[in-house]
Amino acid sequence: MSKKFLDPHEVPTIPGTEGWERMYPYQYQFSQDDPKRAAYESSQIWFYDGLHYPEPHYPFDLLWDEFWSLSLSQYNTRHFMIPPALGIDHRIVNGYVYISPVGVPDPKEVEKRVPLFLERAGYYYQNWDRLYENWKKKMTVVIEQLQSISFTDLPEMEDISIIKDGVGKGSGYEMLKRYDDLLNLGLLCWQYHFEFLNLSYAAQVTFFNTADQIFPGIPISTLVKMSAGIEAILFRPDAELINLAKLAIDLGLEEVFKKPLKAKELMAELDKIPSGKEWLKQLEKSRYPWFYMSTGTGWYHTHISWNDNLDIPFESIRTNIRAIKEGKSLGRPTDEILKERDRIAEEYRKLIKNEQDREAFDQCLAIAKIVMPYAEDHCFYVEHWFHSLFWDKIRQIGKVLSNAEFLEDTEDIWYMKRDEIRQALWDYATAWATGVRPRGPSYWPKEIAWRKGVYEKFKAWTPPPALGVTPEVVTEPFTIVLWGVTTSTLQKWLAGPAEGEGAENEIQGSPGSSGVVEGRARVLKSVEELADLKEGEILVATTTSPSWAPAFVKIKGAVTDVGGPMCHAAIVCREYGLPTVVGTGKGTQLIKTGDLIRIDGDTGKVTILERAAG
Amino acid sequence: MVEKEQRFILWYDEIDGNDYPLVGKKNANLGEMIKAGIPVAPGFAITIHANDRFLIETNIKGELERQIPSLGEVTFESSKKASEIAMGLIENAEMPPQLEDEILANYHRLCEKTGSDVCPVAVRSSGAISMSGQMETYLNIRGDRDLIDYVKKCWASAYNVEAIMYRMNKGMSFLFNIGIGVPKMVNSRVSGIIFTINPVNGDPSKISIDASYGLGEAVVSGLVTPDTYLIDKVTLDIIKTVMGSKETQCVYREAGSDIIQKEVPEERRKMLCLSRDELKELARVGKLIENYYGKPYDIEFGIDADMPFPENIIVLQVRPESVWSKKETGPKMEKKKDPMERILGQLLTGVRLR
Repeated sequence: MSKKFLDPHEVPTIPGTEGWERMYPYQYQFSQDDPKRAAYESSQIWFYDGLHYPEPHYPFDLLWDEFWSLSLSQYNTRHFMIPPALGIDHRIVNGYVYISPVGVPDPKEVEKRVPLFLERAGYYYQNWDRLYENWKKKMTVVIEQLQSISFTDLPEMEDISIIKDGVGKGSGYEMLKRYDDLLNLGLLCWQYHFEFLNLSYAAQVTFFNTADQIFPGIPISTLVKMSAGIEAILFRPDAELINLAKLAIDLGLEEVFKKPLKAKELMAELDKIPSGKEWLKQLEKSRYPWFYMSTGTGWYHTHISWNDNLDIPFESIRTNIRAIKEGKSLGRPTDEILKERDRIAEEYRKLIKNEQDREAFDQCLAIAKIVMPYAEDHCFYVEHWFHSLFWDKIRQIGKVLSNAEFLEDTEDIWYMKRDEIRQALWDYATAWATGVRPRGPSYWPKEIAWRKGVYEKFKAWTPPPALGVTPEVVTEPFTIVLWGVTTSTLQKWLAGPAEGEGAENEIQGSPGSSGVVEGRARVLKSVEELADLKEGEILVATTTSPSWAPAFVKIKGAVTDVGGPMCHAAIVCREYGLPTVVGTGKGTQLIKTGDLIRIDGDTGKVTILERAAG
Repeated sequence: MVEKEQRFILWYDEIDGNDYPLVGKKNANLGEMIKAGIPVAPGFAITIHANDRFLIETNIKGELERQIPSLGEVTFESSKKASEIAMGLIENAEMPPQLEDEILANYHRLCEKTGSDVCPVAVRSSGAISMSGQMETYLNIRGDRDLIDYVKKCWASAYNVEAIMYRMNKGMSFLFNIGIGVPKMVNSRVSGIIFTINPVNGDPSKISIDASYGLGEAVVSGLVTPDTYLIDKVTLDIIKTVMGSKETQCVYREAGSDIIQKEVPEERRKMLCLSRDELKELARVGKLIENYYGKPYDIEFGIDADMPFPENIIVLQVRPESVWSKKETGPKMEKKKDPMERILGQLLTGVRLR
């Protein structure tokens, strides 16, 4: 193939953002200072990771990208010796992350890795349950350690106990150390994240593709139903909301919940009566850890958790109370799901007339069932529970730095790289120790104001889907599986319209739930805006999570920026029979509230038919 | 109560497959389908006994027994003559009052059941021996007078030249009594075809449905591009929907069995012609038919405009799927030692997941 995407070194800098590179780590930049590295960069295919990142990166939030880059790659390359695949390389262009799969080019080398892979991965598959039990323990320890960390302003004077206990070290030191501990825990958590994930995906995909060869076009939703874990942790937060609603009814608190109060006021009201006190006790139990459920994917600091804004779960509890009162049954009855899962698998099995195919199906289903609980549950531990807690710790630092006048606002901290925060804390601690004015207050506000401007310009830019050279064939399995990037996808991108030009009225995503529907769009950037949603509108959101439950009874269809056919929005919409397109990348940016749009849940195409007036 | 063998009318839900000597094969099959839970158009059978009674009471039987042997050897010419005599006698005879009363009483019951004053019906011949397509079926018959006339016409059609020749060649008797089916005409708002496999690749885990507005002819004859749907046979989830252009639809002319083409209004073309509930019900019916017969089927259906859901879903015709069912297919998967080898194979080829 001779056609090429734009060379990664030739992407023009957006006017007014010159110098943007310093907002991100130096190794994330395409550069021509090393001819060897530059030649490598030019020869690779780099695609924009719209799956995870619908928006440009805040300098701080890039840490998760760095962490997964290291962790995912190491398990492919150095732990399990995946025969054809090394890691996934990362770069950033105008605030958007581009990634590139690195294959094992020499077939002999691939051959050599095969027995190593069989031994190493084989060990994990054979000892999966035991190792996974151990994983949960390790993760719980990491989270406990994270919880114990906190940041406060440095004291005017050290406490007397420091003297009398002969501690011999100061609060400045402790704060710097805690910051390092925090980052180390973050990286450790992401190390654990991939301990099972690569292998889990490999087994799952083997099952999916085997079933797809036997039953061409079998829906992923069906495959998930057949292999799903039963006690999926990701559904637990929702179950807690249902139980809290039931408890409220049992305790006769319905009337209190009918009052149009914010969560805080409602809790104060409940605290005045004995039955309310009892309910609040249960609430506390549910909140930790289940309310660490993020309202988004957990990848951005803007994806707050239920614990960060109790109005969100409280609204769901209210909806649940009403539904129970109307006689609707809520939640997932476990035994029914189990029965249905086995019925589906058995009926499919019976349709296979050929012994050899049936054996393949049985083998692959069995291993998919082993790995599925991890694939389903790890997100709660990492992206929801750990990340939600982690963002809060960074906000504590933001508070400290804004108290020290390094920042004009707590939330400005997201415009600092993680290493810069360390440097600023050093500046703050040293000045505190010395008793002088730090440099930070004169340095950071100016820099952050500039970065905010750059960030806004990044937001307005449309990243091209890919850069570099398309390879003859894409074989790196994770790229294909997770991002759906294949040789044919690349050709489609090449043929597509010139980047960022003209009004785009067609957006391509992935099919989430079958059907075609037209309607007015309602673009919601967060779950707090749910009240604006009107009956019969098409929901356009970055992503959805169980906290969006009240939306799905109202809408005609949904479009999300992020997610694949197994994401929350797709699963729920299939349940409700709503056409859905997921993973559009920039749906929430290109579509405006009030636009008349058509979504095709089979092809993944979204068409803007008519722009909203004004 | 008159014994079953002596009755002139049997409703579809009173008969089953074993009753074909009484009502003919087509009718008996419909009765069998109802027993299996398959929704067919409501209606009744006029028995073979009724035909016999008609020929006796009108003296046509005696007349034919006297006249026909005089025509001599069976040739095309003599058959033509015999046909003219028999059909003329039958069509011009007065319907005996007892038969007429009974047919009309049951027709009125059908009208009442389907909620219309003059329910349009089909008048279908149904022989106890298969004589494919040699006798007549009349569509869209309304009202007492027409019904009686077309019942006679239908009986008479057992004596058309082709039918006579066929029987003579098989050494069967000249006199031949047939059953008649009188089902409600399905006033199809939407109609189409259900395949209980994916017709594209023979995949037995899918149900494929083609559907368009109006009568089934538009879809069957390929006059329009219908909406097509692919459904997961096990979960009944809708997997794929492709909207067809559906420019025209076939409808009956107000009276008579003529079919005319009508343009489908622009805004209806752009809508899917089946709702989600209708699709699920059709898939359920398809699965039921396949399970009942124990093999893949293709099924013509109509959705009646006059009846409520789900009773409005009506199976018009079924036949065994003939393409894929005959094909021998080998294994699709290679033999592998263990699941690890399968995972390895997957990683090495990197096949794309949709």
